[in-house]
Amino acid sequence: MNLLDIRNLSIELLSANNPILAVDRVSLTIKEGEVRGLVGESGSGKSLLAQAIIGVLDERWRVDADRFHWRGIDLMRLSIEERKAVISKDVAMIFQEPMACLDPTTTIGEQLEEAVDNEQLSGYFWQKRQQRKLAAAKLLHKVGIKNHELCTKSYPHQLTEALCQRVMIAMALAKRPLLLIADEPTAAMESTNQGQIFRLLASLNQLKNMSILLISHDLENVTHWTNTITVMYSGQFVEAGTTKHIFDQPFHPYTRALVDSSPKANSQIPVKSRLMTLPGSIPILQHLPIGCRLGPRCPRAQKACVQAPKVKNYHGHQVSCHYSLKDSY
Amino acid sequence: MSALLQVSNLSKSYETAGFWFNRKMITALDPISFEIKAHKTLAIVGETGSGKSTLAKLLVGAENPTTGKIKLNGQTLHHGNFKQRCQHIRMIFQDSGTTLNPSLTIHQLLDEPLHLNTDLNEAQRSVLIRETLQKVGLLGDHMSFYPHMFSGGQKQRISLARAIILKPQVIILDEALAALDPSLRSQMVNLLLDLQQQMGLAFILISHNLGIVRHFSDDMMVLCQGQVVEVGKTVEVLSKPEHKYTKKLIMNQRFQLLHK
Repeated sequence: MNLLDIRNLSIELLSANNPILAVDRVSLTIKEGEVRGLVGESGSGKSLLAQAIIGVLDERWRVDADRFHWRGIDLMRLSIEERKAVISKDVAMIFQEPMACLDPTTTIGEQLEEAVDNEQLSGYFWQKRQQRKLAAAKLLHKVGIKNHELCTKSYPHQLTEALCQRVMIAMALAKRPLLLIADEPTAAMESTNQGQIFRLLASLNQLKNMSILLISHDLENVTHWTNTITVMYSGQFVEAGTTKHIFDQPFHPYTRALVDSSPKANSQIPVKSRLMTLPGSIPILQHLPIGCRLGPRCPRAQKACVQAPKVKNYHGHQVSCHYSLKDSY
Repeated sequence: MSALLQVSNLSKSYETAGFWFNRKMITALDPISFEIKAHKTLAIVGETGSGKSTLAKLLVGAENPTTGKIKLNGQTLHHGNFKQRCQHIRMIFQDSGTTLNPSLTIHQLLDEPLHLNTDLNEAQRSVLIRETLQKVGLLGDHMSFYPHMFSGGQKQRISLARAIILKPQVIILDEALAALDPSLRSQMVNLLLDLQQQMGLAFILISHNLGIVRHFSDDMMVLCQGQVVEVGKTVEVLSKPEHKYTKKLIMNQRFQLLHK
């Protein structure tokens, strides 16, 4: 069954003159026990999408969707309180900069204990304090921190970035979520630490059957860990499919360019040759091109591209392009 | 062709702050020697605390080395003689957004090194700034813009312009490509390679992305806790790593390669 089923979600930034369409009709489904990658360059609206799922966008943003279902419940019809109750029970999120997201003035232990839910504790009120401590220590063990006593006593600035990220994951696990949204969990981390965090997430996925939405700006970093990938560009849906399809036979020119531009994925190209790349850079929100937003940078763009293309589905491999590369394979 | 930059026995150790007998020496970088030729790139790979940033700081003269000498074209570079060093060794930092002064226009930013290091008059400087901006793929009219008006990739280009405006011989890239988006990163790699061919620059690339290192560099050096673990041609080191630490580094990124 689909955990999360989003069809044509749009997010608008309400401004004085005219609203800006930051995310334009993006679809996303997450099945139970699946790791889905959400890939896009910075400014492509992937963090916005994650925040819209959690429901933490303030009133300056307007979220619209044709379908926004969480395990069969239509979230768009619920009131804010009901929605909060549903989402906070089953969905957790870890944010980009762990150091900045933890409270610098309280110890890790206190912050973790705060995250532990009251309902998980059994016993009389004088036992609860102890149980809470135990639960926090258990959470730390779960994410691979063995020396929990030292860790609970320290402040965020005393820990390394990778440790902070582990603490963030521990906090997210406190509610035993069904879906974990990881917003660039390894941005600006060393490769060894990156490996550790990804392995931790993968083991959680396998052991607890927890679904993960893995958000990243770099296609090459996530391909090993994901089952399926959704690619976004400048707030528009580009392509979705299994990791293998996306990586080996991308249908969209943008995904093709992403794969080609990575020197890791193309180890056969000669050293110091020019890398394939798209001209220009991602457009800013104030000056979005009409139709397909890749248009001005796209090597295959033609007249029809001023109209936004419809999503085509080839056996679960969805692509949004008038001139897809499907026939060239 | 003789070596452009020769480094011999360079090392750095710090004294911890403490009372007399409590004082300890911490070695950030053990004695290290290498040389680079023009048109070549040396990659330095290692984890945090391996001393790669210390090495970069020593080379640009931000820190005083404990022992050792740096020679450029056979001339010894002395600590404190910035006039000589600034002209020839330039550095680009990781975070392009915060290294540009937000209260200065691009013209003022690029004018500063010229004003301090050359005898050009104002008109000549303006012409040179315009040329340099065009060289890195921006327009001459971008001169009157402020840094916040540019996107991340363009800011990185401006830092590159600031680095090459004095026609240096060595450029140090301290994780300069890490924070960029993939398509901008490949644009930047292409631009750097073009500049290397045109101007005969030598690059010192500090990075932990082995894909970029493999594509970009001729030689590589692996640092671990201040010590050189492995040196050699990039192709050879990456295909036949000998030290345990290098193998671990490659294994950590290998999973991404295996997928294909």
